Amino acid sequence: MKKRTKETTLRTQNALTGLAFLTPWIIGLAVFTLYPIGYSMMMSVSNLEFKISGGIQATFAGMDMYRKIFTEDANFIPALLNTLKFIAFSTPMILVSSVILAMLLNKVPKGRGFFRALFFFPVVVISGPVMSKLIGNDATMLIQAGDYGVYQVIKSLPEIISTPLLYVFDNVVLILWYSGVQILIILAGLQKINKPIYEAASIDGASGWQIFWKITFPHLRPMILLCGIYTVVDLAAMPSTALAKLVSDNVERTDMMYSYSAALSWLYTLVVLIMLGVVFLLLKERKEKQDD
Amino acid sequence: MAKYRGITVNPKRFERSQIKFYIILLPMIILALLPLIYIISTAFKPIEELFAYPPTFFVKNPTMANFRKLFGAAENTAFPMSLYLFNSIVATVAVVLLGCFISLMAAYALSKKRFKGRKSIFKANQLALMFVGSMLGIPRYLIIKGLGLTDTFWVNIIPLLIMPTGVFLLKQFIDDVPDSLIEASRIDGASEFRILMQIVYPIVKPAMATVAILFFQSAWNSTEASNMFINTEGFKTFAYYMNVLTSAGNGVAGRGMAAAASLIVVIPNIVLFIIMQSRVMDTMARSGIK
Repeated sequence: MKKRTKETTLRTQNALTGLAFLTPWIIGLAVFTLYPIGYSMMMSVSNLEFKISGGIQATFAGMDMYRKIFTEDANFIPALLNTLKFIAFSTPMILVSSVILAMLLNKVPKGRGFFRALFFFPVVVISGPVMSKLIGNDATMLIQAGDYGVYQVIKSLPEIISTPLLYVFDNVVLILWYSGVQILIILAGLQKINKPIYEAASIDGASGWQIFWKITFPHLRPMILLCGIYTVVDLAAMPSTALAKLVSDNVERTDMMYSYSAALSWLYTLVVLIMLGVVFLLLKERKEKQDD
Repeated sequence: MAKYRGITVNPKRFERSQIKFYIILLPMIILALLPLIYIISTAFKPIEELFAYPPTFFVKNPTMANFRKLFGAAENTAFPMSLYLFNSIVATVAVVLLGCFISLMAAYALSKKRFKGRKSIFKANQLALMFVGSMLGIPRYLIIKGLGLTDTFWVNIIPLLIMPTGVFLLKQFIDDVPDSLIEASRIDGASEFRILMQIVYPIVKPAMATVAILFFQSAWNSTEASNMFINTEGFKTFAYYMNVLTSAGNGVAGRGMAAAASLIVVIPNIVLFIIMQSRVMDTMARSGIK
């Protein structure tokens, strides 16, 4: 009986310290993120009327905005498909290349820190406000200019060869610029794998390919899942995706101020959620198999 | 932690067979550095080269004209550049320190403490992570106004302290810290706070450094608060100031100035990153946990 009380108090204490640690963050999250999200939900189902006194009069409009998006907005479906295609193609490319690059970095004896720093560099450089304005102004120019020498060589090849090559080339730049964080995470994961496991495997005569699929990949799986989620969110948050542009273009619509773009951004969130679900299903740990 | 020789993972010595890795890595590095090269090159371009078509990537006759124009424009503003710089430094230091601390505490609690609603709180965080940021502007404005934060210095700091990505990354890393380690230190009489700072923090340092860099960027590059919430010129930030200076000269000619400004804004990011990255290195492996 005595033991039981003690256990309960310990557990309560544990919960209390946990809550105490969480409090500042919960308050912040609620005030600056969750409440605004809820508010935008409200806006997406209302007609808003802005009073001169500064107040906002909201009248319930039901699913009006959503219906309009699907039936009347000619831009929505193309923007949606465009964004889906962009994220669905880029995410696997970013993941595969970060795994490859992280493994290469892991095999390099000298200057690993230096190389890794360089791969993280674009993350540091691109995000500046002036820089993003600059890239936004002439995004295409930056890519073209970057590819200048090689581009011409590839372009001179027959079209069947050059088109996919150019596509990959354009995306190589994108991939490298957006995989800084992912490389760091996977490299940290790689460093945690015990070296004796590799040694045992190579003594048993496993090939490099087998070692990758039987040892490295299963160990990295949680890290890759984390990177997959991070990548999808990171790409979706780019202000230059077609859907994000559609959202910000519609913010100031005079007839349906804020409501319409609130509804759009909710749909966008839903799309991102579905994609995250797919990522999760593909990359989650397969427990049943390990039990065998 | 002992290192094994003769295994290809984490080798200590350089061998000829490793040259192929460098050969693959080098072109990747060059591509990764493109944005920086581009910005440096554009910042030093004279006006004729900015107008050149097809646009050239590298600068041929480097000049300081863009910087001179930028500082010339700065002299015409009512407040000195140093004021904005000071504001930005104070706000950034506060955001990085407080933000990292709050995120670490939250991530630790979410990862290692058992209490009701833990899972739903983490789900709320994930929802916040996925929501498209641009639409939160209006409700956020109303809240900040309601809290009386408009036109105070605090608005540069407080709204930036909450970064769902940071908590998310940290939580995933703290999940890997073995419970036995925490239990052992608890039995040895360490307080919760001490466990967090002396056991958990050193282990998750690499993730911490990443999160710190993300916080640094969100604060140092922040123009939102100065744009929307602050009227008093004396509270605005350096990034905002640079943005205003460059927006005066728009178009092609302004591009050189914009590049010069973003080069100035980005230098602290680069310096900080170079300092941080050596700390991140191999901390995971050295922590002695398998």
